[in-house]
Amino acid sequence: MATAIDVRRRAADTAPTLRRRRKPWKSWLLFLLFAGPNLALLLVFTYKPLLQSFYYSTLQWNIGSAAAMPVGLANYVDWFTDPSTPRVAGVTLVFTVATVGGGMVIGLALALLLNRKLAGRGLARTVVVAPYVLSGVAVGLLWLFVFDPNFGITSALLNAVGIASPDWYNDPGAALWMVIIVYLWKNVGYVALIYLAALQAVSRDLLDAASLDGASAARTFKDIVLPLLGPTTFFLAVTTLLSSLQSFDIIRAMTQGGPLEGTTTMMYQIYQEGFQTGRAGYSSAVATILFAVLLIVTFVQMRYIQKKVHY
Amino acid sequence: MSATKSFTINRRQILQLGALLGGTAALAACGGPSIGAAGGAVQATDRDWSGITPAKEITWWSNHPGASRPVEEEIIRKFREAHGIKVNLVTAGANYDEVAQKFQAAAGTDNVPELVGASDVWWFRYMINGQILPLDQLADHLEFDAADFNTTLYNDYEYNNSHWAVPYARSTPLFYYNKDAFKKAGLPDRAPKTWDEFDEWAPKLADKPGLMPLGLGKGTSWIAWWFCNMLWGRGGAYSEEWTMTLDTPEALAAAEYLQRLVFDDKVAAIAATDYVADFGAGLSATTLASTGSLSGILEAAKFEVGTGFLPEGPRGAACPTGGTGVAIAADKTPEQQLAAGMFLKFLTNSENTAYFSSNTGYMPVRTSARDGDIMADVYRKQPQFRTAVDQLETTRVQDWGRVFVPNGDKELTTALEKIVLQQADPASAFKVASDAITKSFEQNVKSYL
Amino acid sequence: MSAPAQTRVSGTPQPTSAAADGSGGMAAGPAPAAALAPGHGRERTADGPRRRRPANAGGYLSLLLAVAVMVLPLVWMLLASFKDRDEIYTIPIQWLPSSYDLSNYADALATVPFDSFFLNSAITTIVGAGLKITLGLTTAYAVVFLDFPFKNVVFGIVVFALLVPQQIVIIPNYTLVAELGWLNTDQGLIIPGLASAFGTFLFRQHFLTLPVSILEAAALDGAGHFRRLFRFVVPISAPTIAAVALVSIVSEWNEYLWPLLVVDRAEMMTLPVGLTLLQNNDGVTNWGVLMAGTVLVTAPVLIAFFALQTRIVAGLTTGAVTG
Repeated sequence: MATAIDVRRRAADTAPTLRRRRKPWKSWLLFLLFAGPNLALLLVFTYKPLLQSFYYSTLQWNIGSAAAMPVGLANYVDWFTDPSTPRVAGVTLVFTVATVGGGMVIGLALALLLNRKLAGRGLARTVVVAPYVLSGVAVGLLWLFVFDPNFGITSALLNAVGIASPDWYNDPGAALWMVIIVYLWKNVGYVALIYLAALQAVSRDLLDAASLDGASAARTFKDIVLPLLGPTTFFLAVTTLLSSLQSFDIIRAMTQGGPLEGTTTMMYQIYQEGFQTGRAGYSSAVATILFAVLLIVTFVQMRYIQKKVHY
Repeated sequence: MSATKSFTINRRQILQLGALLGGTAALAACGGPSIGAAGGAVQATDRDWSGITPAKEITWWSNHPGASRPVEEEIIRKFREAHGIKVNLVTAGANYDEVAQKFQAAAGTDNVPELVGASDVWWFRYMINGQILPLDQLADHLEFDAADFNTTLYNDYEYNNSHWAVPYARSTPLFYYNKDAFKKAGLPDRAPKTWDEFDEWAPKLADKPGLMPLGLGKGTSWIAWWFCNMLWGRGGAYSEEWTMTLDTPEALAAAEYLQRLVFDDKVAAIAATDYVADFGAGLSATTLASTGSLSGILEAAKFEVGTGFLPEGPRGAACPTGGTGVAIAADKTPEQQLAAGMFLKFLTNSENTAYFSSNTGYMPVRTSARDGDIMADVYRKQPQFRTAVDQLETTRVQDWGRVFVPNGDKELTTALEKIVLQQADPASAFKVASDAITKSFEQNVKSYL
Repeated sequence: MSAPAQTRVSGTPQPTSAAADGSGGMAAGPAPAAALAPGHGRERTADGPRRRRPANAGGYLSLLLAVAVMVLPLVWMLLASFKDRDEIYTIPIQWLPSSYDLSNYADALATVPFDSFFLNSAITTIVGAGLKITLGLTTAYAVVFLDFPFKNVVFGIVVFALLVPQQIVIIPNYTLVAELGWLNTDQGLIIPGLASAFGTFLFRQHFLTLPVSILEAAALDGAGHFRRLFRFVVPISAPTIAAVALVSIVSEWNEYLWPLLVVDRAEMMTLPVGLTLLQNNDGVTNWGVLMAGTVLVTAPVLIAFFALQTRIVAGLTTGAVTG
């Protein structure tokens, strides 16, 4: 690996040298042979279904039925006028903001902690990251038992310190926080890890230099460390947003979108409408709306945040 | 230059590439529904079943109601011995909804099973999607002895003069009570006859800290099912045929009664996860649970369990039936359908009905089984089993708005959960559900009738 | 205005982090070693000698708390997996099981075919991740080293796919796979998720840093492109490939939604899907058995993680550091 760093001439710069005297169609075929299979798979299983999904969203189609009826934009009108839509949109927003924002705040705090020279921090880091590699279903099921209001430990611990346990399974608001907590438990280690790697890349020289200058720890953090973490924050914002919007297994294992649709995110609604109630057209409309939101948010992130962090 | 020499494209590679891209195009071409083709239920056609040889292997999608997998496997084994036909038993989900969702999604693929569980809220949807076969002709040919089925239970699957499934794991809700708790509270050893009586008894049960007099369950295919008891008992109904009737004073009174139990009297609570587990652990003194849960409850409870009829409302006894039947897929060859029919007949014959019922707690769907020796033996050993069978007399057919309209049960569940978890105004919660169900009827059902 | 100042500050370390790029896979490598070296810690005086002790006490307390929050649910799961029904459904809760017999595990294994779940998970993970890596390598190679007029467009198409979550396209994909008769098959489980977007992206970033001299030497030797890729490029990229592979393996192993849709036969289910079969909605959910099943699903992954943690951590950070 070390050799990779100090090479002056990189492959990309000299790629033209490999390109001499070739009939173009042959090199094109060669390219297709290398990139074609992957490209074909993407076309068949990502781009074509994406277009199909737009098309299905204009149909009234029960997934169990061989026939469908074109209805234009009726599915979209239905979604935007459905009484449950404000709740679903709200749940999606709260879940996303809490898991992405909360994840970054907690992850950064953990990274700062793990970056300190404390004995046993290597082990602690491993433990913190461990849940990230577990199956979301297994995590959901084990937490379901942890949160059980009668037989689980959260209520026992809360009661021990004199706090009444929220009704995690019957109160839609509490249930939403429950799945958020579980999501964070599983995924925050990843965020911490990325921040830790970034901190370790900058801290040694710069932090020491800063503290020699007599800069206080808080100011060092605010003025030097945080801006340096900008690119990392941007990377995390994009990737954790994508995975948060796609999260399905924890919700499915714990609440199935309930109680009272209190944990039905748009992602979960796509599954529920498509495969449970069988309204494939409606489900496709929700998918299309979610995709549009995703694109907009990502582009805003790219434009706005990237500018701010001075990539 | 060596780069050129090193790679010469030969014909085989071009062909491979062509095949790859061609394959891509072929993959891209298929998928999706056809537009404007007629949908709707399968029409009964005259088929001469006598000239058909049954298939050698069929598949049955079940959720093993009442943890009945070993029972089902045993019946399958005996069927194979008798007829030489193999039945693959597939766990297609943990409950009726999951089985139905799988079956819906598998429509039109070669993955459709010959036999599928068809619960009260799902079979009608299978029918209007054209996914299941009207059974009457096949039943005649195979001599099902349909007259021996319990009439209510068999006719639950009737629409347009055809039967679309046969009853299998059929249940009613039962009133379960903790005999120890009743004794400590100084109550008689029986279920309350009416809800008024329950109101009198509940404060005595509530005296003990940590004990909720009545624990209730929530969720789809459940809350709107047992609520039939309170609703009908007060003279209300979800719907009259296809017209929603949730705005009647009777319906609202039923919802208000439920709210009073939970929020004012504080003698009933909605269980967080598992009302059966709460009852079994002694957290609630009574519960409404399916007859199908009987074996599980008897096994789990650390105390003596009593069962009784659902309490009556001011307008008398009211009890829905539920559970699942088994239907035959339309999209199969006659050979496969014939083999499936033979298995259905075997599964629901008198002997196997009794065998299944005695091991699960589901009701014997045949009169001959209900009155036979095996069940008599069961009643003697565990009189709780008898309750469900006797209660069958008071049952009635479910409201169409719940069971025949796609999402009917789901919308009602949402409304009832709002009412009972969030103390929502019954009138407005019911209105939202009624509107949604009416709309769903117009979109999904009306044109197929 | 603080903006220009910030620009300068963040501009300065750019080469530093770029230099770290090349060793992206290793960036986190030295961390555990440093953490475990006791002498190293004393040299740090950022907090000043006076404030160090209370700060460290607070640090250790936070560390302990973080570890406890992470570990406690797992311990609770493990304990529950040994409990009888009576010990689970009891108030107040009982922490320790009365005995550590394996009857719940025996029940879980008897109720559902865990062996075939395990096998199916292994097959889909190994084949899926293996092919995915190969596709990523060939595509990245083509984009970096081969000549094609629209290769940036191609790369764009590949990378843009990262923005199309699998869930957005499940209905068309399900319909397609169903019509091909691929439900309940290995190909149905594997192929739709096979395309490599993230892998291609990472490999491309890595290939751009490779010394071209190696490839030139290979070309002079008369090696074809396939040989150049698999004989020369792959070996020197081993750490990056291992990192990407481990991340792919983890995500394939844990994949849930797609297997849930395309498989309904127990003998074709993967572990996450099969596990939910232990949830019984009709009778009483037996938490002891369900938790035993959950232990069976999580324990192998945790053990593998602790054994391979340096590599996995490197894999997870590669994406971030190069990205």
